[in-house]
Amino acid sequence: MANYAENLLSENAALVPHLGAEPADWLALLKPRVVSLVVFTGAIGLVIAPGHVNPLIAAIAIFCIALGAGAAGALNMWYDRDIDALMRRTSTRPIPAGKIEPGAALGYGLVLSVISVLLLAMATNLCAAAVLAVSIFYYAVIYTVWLKRHTPQNIVIGGGAGAFPPVIGWAAVTGQIGLLPMLLFLIVFFWTPPHFWSLSLYASTDYEKAGIPMLPVVKGARHTRWNVFGYTLILFALSLLPWMLGLAGRIYGLTALALGVVFIHYAWGVLRDAQDERGVSLSQDKPARAAFKFSILYLFLLFAACAVDRLI
Amino acid sequence: MMAAAENRDYECERMPRVTLGKAQWSDEQKAEFMRRRRARNFLLLAALGGFCLIVYVIALVKLHEYGQMW
Repeated sequence: MANYAENLLSENAALVPHLGAEPADWLALLKPRVVSLVVFTGAIGLVIAPGHVNPLIAAIAIFCIALGAGAAGALNMWYDRDIDALMRRTSTRPIPAGKIEPGAALGYGLVLSVISVLLLAMATNLCAAAVLAVSIFYYAVIYTVWLKRHTPQNIVIGGGAGAFPPVIGWAAVTGQIGLLPMLLFLIVFFWTPPHFWSLSLYASTDYEKAGIPMLPVVKGARHTRWNVFGYTLILFALSLLPWMLGLAGRIYGLTALALGVVFIHYAWGVLRDAQDERGVSLSQDKPARAAFKFSILYLFLLFAACAVDRLI
Repeated sequence: MMAAAENRDYECERMPRVTLGKAQWSDEQKAEFMRRRRARNFLLLAALGGFCLIVYVIALVKLHEYGQMW
């Protein structure tokens, strides 16, 4: 599989003059859409943390979190360049498209990783910088290299990589890791499976083609639907914990309650979708698409409620 | 020998390693290559400038608020 992709790349390189990358290609290597969610959750961590931080330092800390997440994304694209070339969704990324050479992408990712961690250490404290370094390692090595191609539980454990930003934001202000950011970590951790498996239900042919053992490919669609529903129930219970433990107020609690009920409704729709005997959707996975879209809104509103609750 | 001489011509213009002796470059493509390289160089310059600025701002704020960097 890897050889096939490498041959494909080298053949294209021989036929098409290599004009070099545009600045937009280097930006695309940082996965800007993923980074936007990371920036948001990291900023919430900063806002809800007790204590004062200079606004300029806060802005630099958020920039460092974004840079670190982008660097991890570049390292992920470097390692996954062979399978990215095989999937329709990822074949236009800068490396498989032949716009950026793999070695350049690797150097770019490594340099940005080091710069982001060093700057964060300089601007805030060693605790925040260490958590950022761990999060980059978690995404680039634990998820990308060890988990993604080897286990259908890849995104369950790998979900931890995206869960670090609120912890980093909190640590940037307080210099330590508290209970509330750990609960937010767990919320993002358990949010990732229903979010990603909803997507993989209707993108499983792509994953199958690339040989990635996503749950629908290995265990089938029906098993995945049950998992989406199960993890949504766990997420619902976890999202109420900050309120029940008195770490968040009524605004957060009621928002988590309402959003959780709606998310369970969407997950139930995924479970009860019209399907054949193997669990494959007969409705072009409309409920799964709706659940995927709502999951993004869910996380955004839940974290926003947490910040509003703290500010009021 | 001839192939080596051709490759040297390309190297003079510092074309990317992957295309040496493989692709025919038109004038438009050469101009586009130069434009992209210039854009990349300006981007690198801006990134370096930004890095220096951030370090400067961190130093100013920390020295002003805490009287020390670390």
